[in-house]
Amino acid sequence: MAININSYLFTVLTLAIFMNLAISLYGIFARPSLIKKIIALTILADTANTLAIMVGYRGWPSPSQPVKPPVLTVLKPSREVIKEFASTSVDPLPQALVLTAIVIGLAVTLFLVFLTLQIYRLYGTTDVRKVAKLRG
Amino acid sequence: MGRWQKVVITASMVAFVALLALALSAGGLGFTLPAGRVRDVARWYLFTTFNPDLELFSAMAPEGVTSIVWDYRGLDTLFETAVFFLAIIGSVAIMRDIKTGGGSKPKGSTGLSPIVKTVTRITVGIILAVAASIALHGHLTPGGGFQGGATAAVAPLLILVIFSRYYIERLGVSKNAMLAIRSLGLVGIAVTAFIVLAVTSLQGGVAYVFQNQPKPYAPAGMPYEVGGSLTGGTLLLFNIFEMFAVSAGFTIIFLLLAIPESEVLGVLRGGEDGH
Repeated sequence: MAININSYLFTVLTLAIFMNLAISLYGIFARPSLIKKIIALTILADTANTLAIMVGYRGWPSPSQPVKPPVLTVLKPSREVIKEFASTSVDPLPQALVLTAIVIGLAVTLFLVFLTLQIYRLYGTTDVRKVAKLRG
Repeated sequence: MGRWQKVVITASMVAFVALLALALSAGGLGFTLPAGRVRDVARWYLFTTFNPDLELFSAMAPEGVTSIVWDYRGLDTLFETAVFFLAIIGSVAIMRDIKTGGGSKPKGSTGLSPIVKTVTRITVGIILAVAASIALHGHLTPGGGFQGGATAAVAPLLILVIFSRYYIERLGVSKNAMLAIRSLGLVGIAVTAFIVLAVTSLQGGVAYVFQNQPKPYAPAGMPYEVGGSLTGGTLLLFNIFEMFAVSAGFTIIFLLLAIPESEVLGVLRGGEDGH
């Protein structure tokens, strides 16, 4: 049973992403500090974005070589150029979705930071166990 | 948790990934490398993103990602911009009672050392130029309004940290000014979404909302080429307005985060004492 080194490294990458998802979910659920929850949430978002980019990967001409970005570099492309572009470039759809997800993720993270800041200013703690016990 | 316990947990997770990868790449679950072909919808996007032979289906912009963001899936991006808008408005609403003015002129010198200030004066211009370049070339090279706006928002953040809040207010970067710029950007996006429809309706034709290039049964469209340079039709306008909306939105957040703790606590305690 032969093991291809490229295949092995790619599998390590994929599994590491899923391991990262598990660790960040643990951080979100199990850590009591709101700041640590936010940090784990950003790690989760970045991992999900990396996974989305990997879904759009295209192993052309071989999986170990650098891929072609979805950008036409010819000003007045002929039919052959467009055909070659469509048959060699990576999937642009995950990149488009990730691009907006990053900016919106940053805005939502900042909103959560404001919420945490306000909770800290009002209650003097960011520990969710203590915040849950407080009566306003 | 002891130190050795952490080491053991980390090492066992790494070993789990490495060994499971070994099993999978040996054919455990039929897992293979990514194929040399992509999905049919991706092929269609790539084939029509800039295709003069298929003008009725093409976005006529050589950058596949921006074509998808603002043409093929433009409505999605509009709603994502709405999510962004709501997150910023939520942050502003939390800090609603707190004044953001820089206050009186601080005595003596404020901020970091003169070396840092001089370097910042140079780099702020460079950052803004790079941001404008990223946003304005979004339809030609990787980049666009979101990336350009996020880059441009770094400049006020640097000024805020390295100089002072008083200085940045004197430059005209206040919360209300940024809210105005951001609203103008959002209005610009809305106008651009309807511009082809509005112009065509006045001339008695038909068009779609979010139309960029001519489509079947809707023969109107924005010119994708002006004087020999590609503009991507509405993509260029969307990118410019999105850059203003995103950079001004982030600047508001940075201004609010820079308010000193003592001022906020004064407002919060004052409210509680009033009861």
